[in-house]
Amino acid sequence: MALARAAGQAGPGAALALLWLLVRAAAPPAVCAPGDSGCLRLTVADLFDRVIRHSGRIHSLSTALCAELENRFPPRDNELGKPARRCPTAGMLTPNGKEYAQKIPREELTYVILKLLHAWKEPLSHFNQHIEHHQELPDDSLSKAKQISKMVHELETGIEKVTEKMQLMGIISNSLHGMASSEASGFSSTNEANMMSDSDFIHCFKRDSNKVQCYLKILKCRIMPENSC
Amino acid sequence: MKQKLMSSIQIILLLPLTAMGLTGQSYPGKPKIIRCRSLEKETFSCWWKPGSDGGLPTNYTLFYSKDSEEKIYECPDYRTSGPNSCYFNKNHTNPWTTYNITVTATNEIGSNSSDPQYVDVTSIVQPGSPVNLTLEAKASASITYLWAKWFPPPLADASFNSHVYHYELRLKPEEKEEWEETISVGMQTQYKVSRLNAGMRYIVQVRCMLDLGEWSEWSSEKRIQIPSEESPPEKPTIIKCRSPEKETFTCWWKPGSDGGRPTNYTLLYSKEGEEQVYECPDYRTAGPNSCYFDKKHTSFWTIYNITVRATNEIGSNSSDPHYVDVTYIVQPDPPVNVTLELKKPMNRKPYLVLTWSPPPLADVRSGWLTLEYELRLKPEEGEEWETIFVGQQTQYKMFSLNPGKKYIVQIHCKPDHHGSWSEWSSEKYIQIPNDFRVKDMIVWIIVGVLSSLICLIMSWTMVLKGYRMIAFILPPVPGPKIKGIDTHLLETGKSEELLSALGCHGFPPTSDCEELLIEYLEVEDSEDQQLMPSHNNGNPSKKAKTTPKETDSDSGRGSCDSPSLLSEKCRESRALPSTLQTQDVRDVQENKAVKRSRETQCVALERKTLLSNSESTKSSTWPAAQLPDNQPPIFAYHSIVDACKITLITTNVNIAPVLVENEEKHQSRYSITETVPGDMQEHGEMENLHSKTEQTAVQVKQNRPNVKSPFLDATLMDYVEVHKVKQDEPAVLLKHKENRGKTENYTIPGTSKEYTKVSTVVDHNILVLMPDSRVQHTPMSQEPAKETSQNLQQGQAEKNTSYCLTAPSDCKRETSGSEYMDPSSFMPSFK
Repeated sequence: MALARAAGQAGPGAALALLWLLVRAAAPPAVCAPGDSGCLRLTVADLFDRVIRHSGRIHSLSTALCAELENRFPPRDNELGKPARRCPTAGMLTPNGKEYAQKIPREELTYVILKLLHAWKEPLSHFNQHIEHHQELPDDSLSKAKQISKMVHELETGIEKVTEKMQLMGIISNSLHGMASSEASGFSSTNEANMMSDSDFIHCFKRDSNKVQCYLKILKCRIMPENSC
Repeated sequence: MKQKLMSSIQIILLLPLTAMGLTGQSYPGKPKIIRCRSLEKETFSCWWKPGSDGGLPTNYTLFYSKDSEEKIYECPDYRTSGPNSCYFNKNHTNPWTTYNITVTATNEIGSNSSDPQYVDVTSIVQPGSPVNLTLEAKASASITYLWAKWFPPPLADASFNSHVYHYELRLKPEEKEEWEETISVGMQTQYKVSRLNAGMRYIVQVRCMLDLGEWSEWSSEKRIQIPSEESPPEKPTIIKCRSPEKETFTCWWKPGSDGGRPTNYTLLYSKEGEEQVYECPDYRTAGPNSCYFDKKHTSFWTIYNITVRATNEIGSNSSDPHYVDVTYIVQPDPPVNVTLELKKPMNRKPYLVLTWSPPPLADVRSGWLTLEYELRLKPEEGEEWETIFVGQQTQYKMFSLNPGKKYIVQIHCKPDHHGSWSEWSSEKYIQIPNDFRVKDMIVWIIVGVLSSLICLIMSWTMVLKGYRMIAFILPPVPGPKIKGIDTHLLETGKSEELLSALGCHGFPPTSDCEELLIEYLEVEDSEDQQLMPSHNNGNPSKKAKTTPKETDSDSGRGSCDSPSLLSEKCRESRALPSTLQTQDVRDVQENKAVKRSRETQCVALERKTLLSNSESTKSSTWPAAQLPDNQPPIFAYHSIVDACKITLITTNVNIAPVLVENEEKHQSRYSITETVPGDMQEHGEMENLHSKTEQTAVQVKQNRPNVKSPFLDATLMDYVEVHKVKQDEPAVLLKHKENRGKTENYTIPGTSKEYTKVSTVVDHNILVLMPDSRVQHTPMSQEPAKETSQNLQQGQAEKNTSYCLTAPSDCKRETSGSEYMDPSSFMPSFK
């Protein structure tokens, strides 16, 4: 009875709220808009934040690993800039400045990110196999390398997910897959990677991981400029 | 001459030696004046070398005399020119005088003097070396020459530096041992050397002389490379490259020596993976010796290989290559708009809110550049900075700041992952006020003082009336004591007599009593109880209102339960009547509260019964309640008795079930007491007690006009009220109610019968109650006596006056007043 009275007092507000909830529950989940707090699904912004953090971690790991390797095998003078260093992804055309990154279509930028990650998957696993036979390398470095390889896979999955979501919501067009197929054989870098020194290899990866993070940030801010940008 | 000197020296040397041989200590050795020198003819200094000190602390004294005088002076200044020296300032320096100077060494054993030194100031002048020699090689056309510049020697007193020096300069190639030539410069402080060998390195020195004195020491050596006619410029060095916003970057270099020829600098760069070499796109934007790469020319994630080439007419020289990945050379400008704000939330410590903006160049909104911040602060007078990493947010709250201090705050920023920290932003100051703290302190001080004051007062009162306070806080447990006394009283068996005696005494014996207009109503029969409740229902609030004024009547009930306590109270009451009374008032109020609650129960209960029952009850009671104001108490009494009798008959039967249901048990006991008063002994103690409760009710009717029912409070059964009548009011209501609950302890049934009959009516206003002699014959007759005594004591305590006490041995103080019974004093135990 007391309940009934309370309900009576709550009155139309409660009824409305209930109705609203029902309506919401009935509505298709695709309605979830970015930044909608009521939406239980992950927003694109959330996903972007996650992949950006993830790429940041990968970059930190590679930076640490790079420092360890360079400590162990110090590069000779002037080796840093010698043209012999050809990164596995050197042939890939990627935005090399802010304006470029902001200008190219979102789809293309997304594709560049995916392409970069994809390009590193195989060389990284090769590299892992390779350095396992390195007796001099400490376990810490080995585990870092493994971790990096694992996280690149995860990151790729995550970015695919964001892409999917963005395509669903119409933020970017679906033309991505076409691009992917057209450039699928843009690089075959395993041989080149094998020719590089370990520290050069990781240096290259470090740079690309930084690229990926930067592109992700740019992409996020282009799509959701209001979201902490 | 020389020989003489030698021999004298020998003697002097021998003497201390022999002395030392004897004692191990001796005269000091002979000091020697090393040199005397004047820098500029106006002052001079003398230095000496001490001899052996003879193993003892030795004092050195310089004496001098002038050739014109006999008088011997001591050194005016031992300190200015260092240890073992004497400085003669301008006042003591006369260029036209010869000074005869000796130094005396003195220790405990003796003294020893140096040979005299004769000093002519003019001849001992030797200036200091020239300073700040700079060399510059200049090439004009095909001739290379060298400019040397210097400054005259510095003097202690700059204002006297008006002297004219002569200078000499010497130079040699670096690799040669001997100086090539010494060039007399004259009085200038610069010189141009020509005829130099190109491509050689030369060393140059200068010295100076004042008038007739000596040449100064040579100045420190300076070297210079004379550029050879064929040599290209030295190679430049790239100092650093920096990108302030991760969009453009600039590189700076430091030129090498250009040999005095016009030299051109070119910056060349190539990018990683590209063979092509580019030249710097912009030499001017970032200032001299720099190259600015605008957005177009700035690529990220690529390595720039940068070199700077210096070129002159002879040749060129390139710097070492500099490798730059722009991602890693980002160093932003310091944050701007740093504001410090002091927030002062209520009831909390103030805190500092810092806000700032990223540097204007940095485009953080695009996601291209993410900045992290770090701030540092310290008290103004502090030495060490406290550094706090803030992360990406552009504000920070600081809570743990020392009040009353002035803080300096700075912030810098850095891109995440790579790059370097910016410069610190300009210093911001904030004064943390300390008045908050002071306010708090004041509040706490006040609280502390007040509480300590209260404690003081408390302890003071405790000391003064300690016992009473204890008694008040921890009321005595009455049971055991009463029991003991009870039996005693029973044994004595005198109580009845005492009680009767009480009645006999002239009731209002004192003048105080005359003011009391009291009606005693005694209702022996149990019916009364039934009646009372019904009346109570009518006017329960009245009683509540009136009683507080009449606190005297109830006083001492609660606390006087035990005889021993009572007796003490009696004694105390004599000493401190006023305090006792106040205490009593409290007791009364407490009791009342209890009663009231009980009362309501009973009332509710009885109201039901009465309502459901015969009208006769009501009719009989109401007349009594509606007694006229001036009606004599007796009348009221009679009427009540009658009414009670009537109701008893009717109600006993009818009400019984209801009451039993309600667990009140009044009914059953009624019947018992009425029918078999004498049998009560045979019943269980408990039962008797209960029945008594019901049976006896003494009512004092108040004749106030407003009071409709004198039985108003009869339901309470528990208390006695004495209504003091103010002068305009004719009557006082005194209610006796016996609370049988208390009598449980006594196990004496039938108390009700023992006392209270109206003995006299005084002045038409006062009814005096007397114990009933008939009732006293009942087996329980002893109980009343005890009660009487207690009541008596209470009465005394309350009034300080004048109720006649017959029996009680407890209380020694006997007054002429008649006894007044207050069974209601046992209320508390009834519960």
